[in-house]
Amino acid sequence: MSAPRVIGFTLNGVPVTALAEPHHNLIELLQTQFGLTGARESCGQGLCGCCTVLVNGLAVSGCLYLASFVDGATVATIEGFDGAGKLSAEQEAFIETGAFQCGYCTSGFIVMTAQLLDEHPEPTDDQIKHYLSGNLCRCAAYPEIIAAVKLAAQKRKARGAAFATTSRA
Amino acid sequence: MIPFELAEPTSLAAAVKLLDPDDETVRPIAGGTALMLMMKAGVFRPAKLVSLRKIERQYAAIAAGADGLTIGAMTTLGTLERSAEVRKLAPLITRTCLTLSNVRVRNVATVGGAMAHGDPHMDLPPVLMALGASVTVAGPDGERTLAVEDLFSGYYETVLAKNELIASVKIPAQGSKRAAYMKVTTGSVDDWPALGVAVVLDGEGDTITSARIVASAATEKATRLTLAEAEMNGQHVDETLLQRAGDAAADEAELVADVRGSVPYKRELMRVYVGRAVAAAWRGAGLNND
Repeated sequence: MSAPRVIGFTLNGVPVTALAEPHHNLIELLQTQFGLTGARESCGQGLCGCCTVLVNGLAVSGCLYLASFVDGATVATIEGFDGAGKLSAEQEAFIETGAFQCGYCTSGFIVMTAQLLDEHPEPTDDQIKHYLSGNLCRCAAYPEIIAAVKLAAQKRKARGAAFATTSRA
Repeated sequence: MIPFELAEPTSLAAAVKLLDPDDETVRPIAGGTALMLMMKAGVFRPAKLVSLRKIERQYAAIAAGADGLTIGAMTTLGTLERSAEVRKLAPLITRTCLTLSNVRVRNVATVGGAMAHGDPHMDLPPVLMALGASVTVAGPDGERTLAVEDLFSGYYETVLAKNELIASVKIPAQGSKRAAYMKVTTGSVDDWPALGVAVVLDGEGDTITSARIVASAATEKATRLTLAEAEMNGQHVDETLLQRAGDAAADEAELVADVRGSVPYKRELMRVYVGRAVAAAWRGAGLNND
């Protein structure tokens, strides 16, 4: 039988349960059961990055990730980035740099940037391009995006340890 | 995707039991990045998927020893990319991971999946083949080991029974060997390759003493180019040799046309890139070449 089953995970810092259909992907789960639409399916093939979500701190393509796979995991979406009403360093940096036009891809870029800065707090241009090569911006705001990532790195540093306590950990 | 059943066994042995040797609609799923594409396209319509994500953690471990590396099949490509042991003992794998799909896919996709999927466009099969790797396979009657070279039987096909699972990949110590992997993408930089060429050479002075050359993507399965290899053995590396190796490869390879290139086009790619990959491998000073 392809019966749905109850799974439990931590979503943006809050323990939750959900009824997961075996054939649903993570994006379907987040949208239909939690009303979270920041991560969205665009290309549907893991190429564009619009569906980027952090699972246990690592970015995944939510559209290629079975919903059941987050059972027991820690999941962070863009909606959890502004913990306690304050925008994350990445969000502030993208806004201040104007690193978007239409904004459709922006949440994916910001979530992807989070893993990049977790692993490379002071990224080089090459590291930025490498981590973001799987995110597409059809408005081609790439120069501004690279600048935004660098600014986000500075902002993270300035915020210091306080930043590490966001709901993404 | 259409509804299907999802089983989540907690041991490799239990996973093997849940598979059915005669039912094509029952399949194992590891990271799922490749299988999800097939299911979303409707190319694969499963009745049941057997998830391997909850099996014993040992199948996601990397062990390094004097005789080489043993990599659990559930190791993600991202873990492989970041492993200090892999970087030290088989840096070609580390370099290959950097251009393999993107960070998100590598965070999820597994080594075993990359092999068992039998997709000729993937980067690890030719690389592991050139490195002389083998896989240990678990089935209902126990384990068996086979060379990666003998794993693939055709386009998206392997010699594995439907109730066999790759448990681990073994990469022998590479000693003084030098290696390179080159891929040609004809759509965008991040496109699936039109051709992949993996080369592992050993040499003394300016003479090649052994060569393993593997082509993928342009062929229906990752394939050793034995005539090109024979052309290299005992030879000094110079422009003429590189050309001869490329010509031999272009002559012997059975090529497949697709949206990334016609057969004549891929033949020219083969002629050029086998020489380039051999040169790249040779230029490096041992295992840490780049």
